[in-house]
Order: sequence, then C-alpha cells, then structure tokens
Amino acid sequence: MAEWMVLWLPAAVSVAGAVSGFAAWSRPTALKLWALAVSLASLAALVVWPGQPIGTTVGAPLLVLLPIAAFLSLLGQPPHEDNRAAWIMTLLVLGLGLGVLAARDGMGLILLALLLVVLVALLYRYRALSVSHLWQGIGMYGFGVISLVTALGAAPPVSAVAALAVCAMLLPLAPLHAGYVAALAGLPGNLPAFLACLLPVLGFHGLLAVFPHLPDDLKTALPMVGLAGAVYGAVKALAQSRVRALLAYANLSFFSILWWYVAAVRAVPPQAVLYLGAVGLATTGLLLAWYAIRARYGDMDLRAIRGLAHPMPRFAVLFALLVLAALGLPPFGVFSGFMGLLLTPTLPLSAALVLIVLAWLAASWYFLDLLQRLLFGRHRPDLRYEDLHRTEFAALLALVIILLVTGVAPTRLFESGTPAPPTHVATGNISWNR
Amino acid sequence: MSLVILVPLLPLLAAIIVAVGSRSSQTRRARIGVWPIVAAFLAAIVTLATVSSQGPISLRFYEPGSAANPVLPMGLYVDRLSAVMMTLITLVGTIVYSYSTGYMYQDRGYSRYLGLIALTTFVLLCMVSSANLVMLFVFWQLLSWLLFLLAHNHAHAATLNGAFKTFTLLRVGDMAFLAGIVLAHSLYGTVEFQELFARAASTPIVLSPMAGLEISGATAVTLLIFVGAMSKSAQFPIHVWLPSSLYAPTPVHALLHAGIINAGGFLLNRLAPLYGLSSTTLHVVFVVGTLTAVLGASMMLVQNDIKKTLGFSTIGQMGYMIMECGLGAFALAVFHLIAHGLFKATVFLNCGNVIHKVRQEPASPHARHAVEAHELTRLTWATGFLTTLLLPFVILLVTHGALRIPLLESQGTVIFLFFIWVTSSQAILTLTRLRAVASWKVSVAMLVTLLFVVFTYLFAAEAFTHFLYPNPHEVASYFQASALPGRLFDGLVIGTTLLIVLGWVYLYAQAHGRTMPMPAWVQGLRIRLYVLFMNRLYIDALHARLGQRIMRVAHGLDKPSSGRLW
Repeated sequence: MAEWMVLWLPAAVSVAGAVSGFAAWSRPTALKLWALAVSLASLAALVVWPGQPIGTTVGAPLLVLLPIAAFLSLLGQPPHEDNRAAWIMTLLVLGLGLGVLAARDGMGLILLALLLVVLVALLYRYRALSVSHLWQGIGMYGFGVISLVTALGAAPPVSAVAALAVCAMLLPLAPLHAGYVAALAGLPGNLPAFLACLLPVLGFHGLLAVFPHLPDDLKTALPMVGLAGAVYGAVKALAQSRVRALLAYANLSFFSILWWYVAAVRAVPPQAVLYLGAVGLATTGLLLAWYAIRARYGDMDLRAIRGLAHPMPRFAVLFALLVLAALGLPPFGVFSGFMGLLLTPTLPLSAALVLIVLAWLAASWYFLDLLQRLLFGRHRPDLRYEDLHRTEFAALLALVIILLVTGVAPTRLFESGTPAPPTHVATGNISWNR
Repeated sequence: MSLVILVPLLPLLAAIIVAVGSRSSQTRRARIGVWPIVAAFLAAIVTLATVSSQGPISLRFYEPGSAANPVLPMGLYVDRLSAVMMTLITLVGTIVYSYSTGYMYQDRGYSRYLGLIALTTFVLLCMVSSANLVMLFVFWQLLSWLLFLLAHNHAHAATLNGAFKTFTLLRVGDMAFLAGIVLAHSLYGTVEFQELFARAASTPIVLSPMAGLEISGATAVTLLIFVGAMSKSAQFPIHVWLPSSLYAPTPVHALLHAGIINAGGFLLNRLAPLYGLSSTTLHVVFVVGTLTAVLGASMMLVQNDIKKTLGFSTIGQMGYMIMECGLGAFALAVFHLIAHGLFKATVFLNCGNVIHKVRQEPASPHARHAVEAHELTRLTWATGFLTTLLLPFVILLVTHGALRIPLLESQGTVIFLFFIWVTSSQAILTLTRLRAVASWKVSVAMLVTLLFVVFTYLFAAEAFTHFLYPNPHEVASYFQASALPGRLFDGLVIGTTLLIVLGWVYLYAQAHGRTMPMPAWVQGLRIRLYVLFMNRLYIDALHARLGQRIMRVAHGLDKPSSGRLW
C-alpha cells in the first residue's frame, strides 16, 4: 500500500464513517453499531498498517489511544436519538484528530482549524452552558482559529508563539483553558469523554513540534506558567459542585504539570506519554460514569445526589476505581506516569516540586470529596435507582483495565518519536548542591 | 525461595476467595479464607528461620536502568527485619480474620469486609518486603486507601467525615514521602535500598535551598520521609485521624493498632542506615516522638470512651516507639511495636465484648467508687518506694554489669531506662489510688510482675537488637548519631528525676492530709490543662478551620470568575 494511503487511512475511515453514518440516522441502534465499527476500523487501520505517520511526534501509544477512547466512549451510550449527533461528531473529530497527527507542515494546522470550527459550532448548537461560559468557550476557540491562521502565515517566532497558544487551548494551560472547560462541561453525549483524550493528545503533539522554535524567554517562562496553572486548576477544582467542571479543572491542573515538566526538562520520556494518556483515559472514564448518572437522573449538582453505593453497586465499584486512578494512586497509569516524570534524572529540583506536590495533594481532596458525595451517605428515596447496563459496565471496566495495564506495563511501550532524557544520573550537576 | 513469594500471595488468595462468589456461599468462603492466611503465617515463620540462618533473600522482577522494566519496579527484599514484620503481620492477620468471621457474621458487608482485611494483610506484607523505595511507596499509599475503606461506613455521617479526614491526612504524609523519594533519587540516583545507603554514606551532599540555609542531603531526605512516617504512625500534630477512625468495626482497630500503624516504625527501621547519617533528623524524630508520647498519654487520661482511651494510648505508644528511633534504638522500636501490637490487638478484640456486655447490663461497671481508699498505707508506700527508687538501681546494675552496656557513653540507653522508670512509677502512682493495693499480696505480685517484665524486656530487647542488627558497630553508630547535646541531656535526666520525686512527695503529702502550698495559678492551670486535653488540644478544630479556610479561598477564587471559565 502506498505510503500516503497508510498515513491517511485511519483518518479517512473515520471521516467517511461519519459522513456515511447519516444513512442510519433514523435507526439509533444501527447508527451506534456503525459508529462502533468505524472506530474499530480506524484502530485496525493503525494496527494492521503500523506505518507511523511521519509528522507524528507523540508515538504509537497515543495514536492507538484515540480510536480506543472513541470506541469505549461510544460503547457506553444508550441507543437513543438524542445521542446520534454526538456519535457522528465523535467519528468526525476522531478523523480530524488522526488527520492532524498524520499531516505534515501546513495541512495539520488546517485540519486543526477545522476541528476548532467544529467545536465552536457544537458549542453554539447545544448551548448547554450559561451565556457567559458559552461565549468564553466559543471566543477561545475562535481565537484559536485566528492563531492558527497567524501560525500559517506569519514568520517565526510569531508563528511558533501563535501555534503554542493553540496548544495551550488543547492541552489546557491557564489562561487559555476556557475552551477546554467549555467543551468538557457543555457538549452533549459521549463527546466530552472522547475530547478529554483527543484534545490533550493534539495539544501535546503540537507542543512537541513547536517547542524547539520558541523564543528562549518564553521557554524559560513556560515552567512558571505551568506551575501556576497546576495550582490554579487544583484550587478551582476544589470549589466546583458540578462534576464536569470539576473534571475539567482537575485536568487543567494535571496537564499543567505536564507543561511544567516538558518546559523544564525539555525532553519527553516515555513516562510523559504514559501520564498524558492515563490522565486522559481516567477523565474519559469518569465522564462516562457521570454520563450514566446524567442519563438516569439529569445533570444534577453534586449536592443533589448521594448514596449510590448501595443501590448501584457495580457503578460504585467502577467509579471508585476510576477515582483511584484519577487521583493518582497506584497501580494505575496516572501514578506510574507521574512517578516516572518525577524520577527523571534530569529533573531540576527546586521549590517547584513543593507546588507540584501540593497540586497532587489537592487532587486527593477534591476527587475523594466527589467519591464520597456520590457514593456514600443515605440515598434519596424519591429516585428510582438502576445499576449500569451491560454496555456501560463493559466500557467502564475496559477503561479500568487499560489504566491498570498501563500502570504496570514495560516503560518502552510508551516511547514516543522524540528523544528521551538520559537514564544515567549526573549527581554532580545539581545546581543547588555544593 | 519460592516460599517467600507465597507469604504475600496467600492473603491475596484469601481476599479473592472471600470477595468473589455468590452471597449464599459467603459463610463457607469466609471459613475457607482463613487457611491461606494461616499458611502465610507458617510460611513467614519458615522464611524467618531461613533468613536468620542464610541471610537476606532478594528477588527482583526488573533490571535497574533497563527500558524493558515495568513502570513500577517490583521485587522482594526480605532480611531479618522484613521476616520479623511478616511473621507479626500474618499472625495478627490470622487472629483478626478468624475473630472477624464470628464478630461480623450476618453483617451486610461481611464478604467485602473480610476481603478487605485479607487484602490489607497482603498490602502490609508487600510493603515490608519491598525491594526498593518506589515499591514501598506504592504499597504505602495503597495502605492509606485501604484504611479509608476499612474505617468507613456508608451511611454514618460521622464515620464518613472521619474516613475523609483519615485519607486526606494520610495523603499529606504520602506527599512528603513522595518528595523524599524524588529528592533521594535526584541526589543519589537510585531507589534501591542498599545502593542508596552506600551512595548517601560515600557522597556527602550539602544543599542550600535558600540563602543562609544549608542542609545535608541525607537530612533533607530523611526529614521528608519522616513526615510520611509521622502520618501513618499518628504522630503529633497529624495524629487526629486515629481518633476520628474509631467508629470502624472493632477488629479493624486490632489490625490498625497492631499492624498498620506500625508502618512508620518499620519505615524508619528500613531506612535506619540513612537516618544514621543525620543527627538533625534523629533529634527531630526524638522531639516529635517525645511530644507525641507525652501528649498522647495525657489525652488518654481524660477520655471517657473505651475506644478513644485505647486510641490515645496507641498514639502515646507510637510516640514512644518513634522516640526510641530518635534515640538511635531502632531495634528496640521494632521490639516495642511487636509487643504493643500483640497487646493492643488483644485489648481491642476484647473491648468489643466489653462494650456489648455493658450495653446489656446497665449496672456494669459497678458504681462503688465511694469506697475507694484515699489513705496511703505503709505497704503502698513501701511498694512505691521499691519501684521508683530501688528498682532503677537494680536495672542500672544489671544493664551495666550483665548486659555490658556502657551507660556513660550511651545516652540513648540511659534515656530509655529512665523511661522504664517513669512508666513503672506512673503505674504505681495510678495503682496507689486503688484500695486493693493495700494488700501485701497485690504489692508482691505487682513488684514481681514489674521486675519480670522489666528484666525480660531488657534481656529480650538486647537479644533482639543483636538479632536485627548483628553488627555492633552499626548499632553504636546509630546511638552516636542520635546523641543529644550534653546540657540538654543532663537537663532531661534531672528534670525527669525531679518530676518523679515531686510526684511521690505530692502523693505522700496528700495522703497524710497535708496541703501543699500551691499558687492559685497552678490550680487554675490544672483545670485549664484538663479542659485542653479533654478537647484534644483543639487540634481537630484547628484542622477543621484550616480546611474551611482553604475552601473559602477556593470559593473566593471561583466566585469572582463565576461568570467566566478562567
């Protein structure tokens, strides 16, 4: 098979699947099966012809992660006509995302701009957020499109800075995270769960490509911005009573740690890839679990629902495991990735470590609070409880297993296309030693 | 060698047997589940014998520095310390599990509970046999989570709050531990125990985190890791999770107070060679341990709930154990935690029955306090005199002569002996308030028991030290590193002596109807202290207020931007 076909096949399968999905529009069950089949076909196209797209720096694990996340987010959905648009859009953004990762030079930016336009359209179409939140999200992605145009047309370093701004919208970094929060908090169906994986991967891909071209001053300032974002995200997450907003801000905190790390170490060890993928998957799982609750009782405030452990035991067990994974407890991938990052020999030690540890500690607080509020206490007698269906259970169980496997798998599985830092230790080079 | 792997795996098998299956077969599965834990205990004994005769067993499922490694490097390193801990854990695990099968029978969460007990035993065993610092930290954190699950009841608000507090405070310690590991890896380039000790000893590093402040690498690492140990072993001021978790089923407390809470003492022992490099850390450990021992015991005295009394007693004992580590007596700390663990497990398993009995019999305990004798008889006085003044001389002679411990060169031993004296005096002072002590039989029994306990403890502790740390130079180096400044040491010895003597004088005077000329402020202070200790020094309130303050800041930050997403 020709090289260009190998590169573009997974993306083409998804986009073609999205377009042809309209043929089954009137039959939700058939449409869901079609969407599942297309996401599997994309995965197969990546696995059977493993010619890694040349432009991709994120490596095979994150590439494979995208169709898997799409498949699992679709699997847990009940076949209902309200979800049809979300399924088709999942395939479309999957195709665009794979296209961005496969494309070279300007084509990737164009596809990314298309993806942002789709997100703007979706945010406007569903308008699930308050007016101000909605316009902030739309405005941020609109700004992203302008930045991409600038990146295409302007000369370095302006183009690099503009591209970096888009990366900060996708792999959320304060103060450019409003679009990410709006997408997770405002989009319907399984889309937030899938975007929680897709957008950070695209942002990470862009960051690795653009980082070498950034001005030195910006490179020096980025770790500080990452640190501030980690603490800010954690504090914001503490104050949230809406699950989707809480998860979005938690992600801001977790991904800011990655920004800090990449900018400070200026290298990408396999553990960074693991960390990125695991945080994305854990968030996907939690959003799917919350979707199961929303599908039954509506988009409730956290204070309005409690005591699900007894009436919904299967949900409770899987949700608790996902929370464990998300707050960074072993043996799940988030913890393994985080430990791997911190045990990199070239990691510069400074007061930054204190802030990182504090942000990590805060995650224990807000995630445990989320767990206790939802699962424990006396359940409401006015609600009719119904535990997870088979497909919901299968999707969440698969996510838990993947998170578990990533936590104990060999490190080399997560190697990316970019150079990793050296594995030896230079004890004498630590700047604050005498 | 394969037997070593079985020790942690068998309790895991028990957990699976109990947790997986239909509800109708849960009682049968629960009974079957005890056998793997018993087998683990037997395997632990064999491991202990093997390790004692053939040296440490090391099994690594990874190759340090290889990219083919799992992300989390797993392996087993079983030396005498690990083997002793494994034997203790499996023994307590067997007892607690067996007891629980009856105690929790017909409870709605029977299988889940027993599964968690077996799983906790597995995690504890993996923790004590960890091959490296990262693996130890992995199981250390899992223990925090399991403690959260065990200490909580779905529908009881106070229990939920307690469980939340338990987990978040344990996580504070976990994060400090994490920072310690990161710093250790950054400075010495390894997380393997033996390599870490060797590099830390051969490469003295001085850090200067800010202008004018210099700290040795070993001190920084050990201080951070010590905060982790403080949280698990309920040291002041992060001890508040322990009383908060007292709503959990009684057998959980037996496991908690006999096994889980010892994690701090184990950690300090596992890293003893690293702690031996830092006098500063050992002094901090000593101060924190002493403070916890004194405050824990003081708070215990004013509690009016049997479980809380035992809980604060454990805090005091853990303080004592940590203090021993701070004195360089690492092996003694392990000896202490074994003795305390077995004792406290027994007491907790009994206290559930006592509570049930009291609830069924309104007249129990008997309200005949009016007949308590207040006078101090000659016999009582003689018993107290013998215990407090004569006994220490005998102990000193034995320690100096028979055990050949150079007392004048070993501050730690002197302080340790002083604490024996203080403890026995406290016991006598308490017992003199009871009428029964006026009997000569009781006095003799008490003296003999005390002598037996003290001497057994002394000889056994000495033998145990040789067993755990066969190299006497290593033991001596720990004592040397922990030596306190001369004046402080003298002050401590004189202060303790004065306290004991004054206690007896006060008691004697009071028993003879004499009033001591006490300033009014001293009387006021007694009342204030009583209130203060009864309210647990208001530490819980301080923690709650700190939590509220953090949440207020978070909401304050969120509120101005409630119309925005940034």
